Amino acid sequence: MKHFLLALLLLSTTAHAHKPSDSYLALTGEGKELRGQWDIALRDLEYAIGLDADGDGAITWGELRRKQSEIAAYAFARFTVRDCRIKPGPLLVDEHTDGAYAVLQFTADCGEALPKRLELEYSLFADLDPTHRGLLRAQFGAQTVTGVLGPDQPRLSLDPEGRTRLEQFLDYAREGVWHIWIGFDHVLFLLSLLLPAVLAAPRFAPAFWEVFRVVTAFTVAHSITLALAALSVVSLPSRLVESAIAASVVLAALNNLFPVVHRGRWLVAFTFGLIHGFGFASVLTELGLPKESLLLALVGFNLGVEAGQLCIVAAFLPVAYLLRHTWMYRRVILLGGSALIVLIAALWMVERVFDLRLGLI
Amino acid sequence: MKQIRVALISGGFWALGALAAPYTPQDENTVLERLPMRRSDPVAAELRQLRGAALARRYFELAMSQGDPRYVGYAEAALRNAGNDPPAEVLFVRGLLKQYRHDFNGALADLEAALKQAPEHIGARAWRAAIFMVRAEYAAAREECRALEPLASDLLATGCRSAVDGATGKARPAYDELKAELEARPDAAPEIRLWTLTRLAEFAGRFGDPLLAERHFREALALGVRDDFLLASYADFLLEQGRPQEVGTLLRKWGQSDNLLLRIALAAKAQNLPEAQKHAQALGERFAAAGLRGERLHLAEEARYLLDLKGDPNAALAAASENWKSQREPRDAAVLLEAALAARERKAAAPALRWLEESGFEDARLRRLAAQLK
Repeated sequence: MKHFLLALLLLSTTAHAHKPSDSYLALTGEGKELRGQWDIALRDLEYAIGLDADGDGAITWGELRRKQSEIAAYAFARFTVRDCRIKPGPLLVDEHTDGAYAVLQFTADCGEALPKRLELEYSLFADLDPTHRGLLRAQFGAQTVTGVLGPDQPRLSLDPEGRTRLEQFLDYAREGVWHIWIGFDHVLFLLSLLLPAVLAAPRFAPAFWEVFRVVTAFTVAHSITLALAALSVVSLPSRLVESAIAASVVLAALNNLFPVVHRGRWLVAFTFGLIHGFGFASVLTELGLPKESLLLALVGFNLGVEAGQLCIVAAFLPVAYLLRHTWMYRRVILLGGSALIVLIAALWMVERVFDLRLGLI
Repeated sequence: MKQIRVALISGGFWALGALAAPYTPQDENTVLERLPMRRSDPVAAELRQLRGAALARRYFELAMSQGDPRYVGYAEAALRNAGNDPPAEVLFVRGLLKQYRHDFNGALADLEAALKQAPEHIGARAWRAAIFMVRAEYAAAREECRALEPLASDLLATGCRSAVDGATGKARPAYDELKAELEARPDAAPEIRLWTLTRLAEFAGRFGDPLLAERHFREALALGVRDDFLLASYADFLLEQGRPQEVGTLLRKWGQSDNLLLRIALAAKAQNLPEAQKHAQALGERFAAAGLRGERLHLAEEARYLLDLKGDPNAALAAASENWKSQREPRDAAVLLEAALAARERKAAAPALRWLEESGFEDARLRRLAAQLK
């Protein structure tokens, strides 16, 4: 009869719920100190060492607390950091999505300094439930490392020095490049100013310098506000900033259709660049700014933005210069393009001012 | 080291772990957790007696009936010392555990090896049939059903055959045959009645008789046996019939199951209830938690969540397409077709359309979707 039942059960699709067994292991290293917090499900501890003293199917705080030292002994026999001695701290409780967890706080004494490499070894519940996993998150200064520990991967080696400062710097620079490339509002603003810039002069050199002035002014301006905002010297509501950025794009492109500003385009770039800097800063804040290497992150991100911007200019300038006398450039690209930019940016502006999602672009 | 990611952008990623800050309860008697069973529970006593494959199998049954994946882990642990040349029963249970992890090839191989040793192993046959059904390999499934005929009871053999017929354009005859067989067996165990009634309801839905489907669902529910498949199937039926308020009542107590929570959330959304948002978020957290483990066993549900609750048709289509690679049941097809339609990627729907064409599956809703995609 058992055969029969099982087969019948499966003839519908397999479904499962609750959650498989996970523990959450968080490590923080600062200087020579290594601190940790380890959340282990009460259900798992019950299965491993038995918490429900009175057998009534409910685990009370009293039952858990009386097992405190046993839990610590059991758990820390199954998680070790080589060359460090783990000292269990107080036992706490936390709720996760799938139930209550015992929270084991601990410090690890590794002597004078943290070892060059932290060798973790994890075998919690490996004998009782091979599907158990330890979800690790280690934070060393600016660097966060995540990993999954379990029977397939019982050992993990961490590098507390983390990524070298150069690598961190490059991480942020890469984010900067990426942001300017996908930040269409910044690109469109820049293009609106650059489209007419090549028309200003008959030869390449003056055209080049005009473009150079515009780009430099934009860069200097947004670097100033990016730094001020990232260092929390000035802060503006993001809706205001985003709306103002959209407005700056509209105005810059409108100026190509109905010119008001002819000379001193760099001044326009500078003024509005100040607003764009606040926009960059919000991205940087979202990435998370490490306290210890704030300057490094800031400079890295900013240089990344500039590098990304230079690529755009380098791609734009020669083509625009060559085409600048054509009807195509003057009519279609300059006027048509600007009109299109006005339209797009106006939609952004409406979306951002009124907090709408028009979903058009 | 491939599982380690250096995450510059770590905000929110870890936040889903804990809901609040750790605390020290004030009262000794505060109940922190309720266990699925007391020590005095007969099931607990039975588990203490069992060893090896029998224990693994019992745990696996529990995993299925309670929808709790921890029991799958316990089952795996019970099989650990099986050795190099395991007996048929170990191979059989190992096959079940592999199919649970969607290692269908591994599962089919283990079940076949079990059948080599014990050619009359009904369970191994039936599970092979079930896996072929999930993969929409109907000829192979039919082959297994045929092999079952001399071994199994008439109701099981008929159940197997009608499951294939019901998915290949013969829902009406499958219904008639299975219903007659059920009526001939008034003594059948409640679990078997439940399974059979659920299938009858589904067949009736497919050939377009919702009243009949409703009746069988209610008969199955009246048996009083908890079964996630039945609840999910009935909830889907109610949602399709535009009766979301009844889903809330039906599933009120079953939010722990991801599959049922999905239906609860869909029903709340259909009624514009304020808790829809909360349910959707809880589901998103569960999928993210599974992702942290590197597991995606609920791809069809995840696709449905992405499509209907999160409103991200592109991500939904990616999940549904990935899911279709290993699972090809009607609901897998439905979510793939809908996601392709929503993402305006008609091409991506092609495999499911081909399945619909070749299988002859009757369901009117899928046919409508297919027509929209053509």
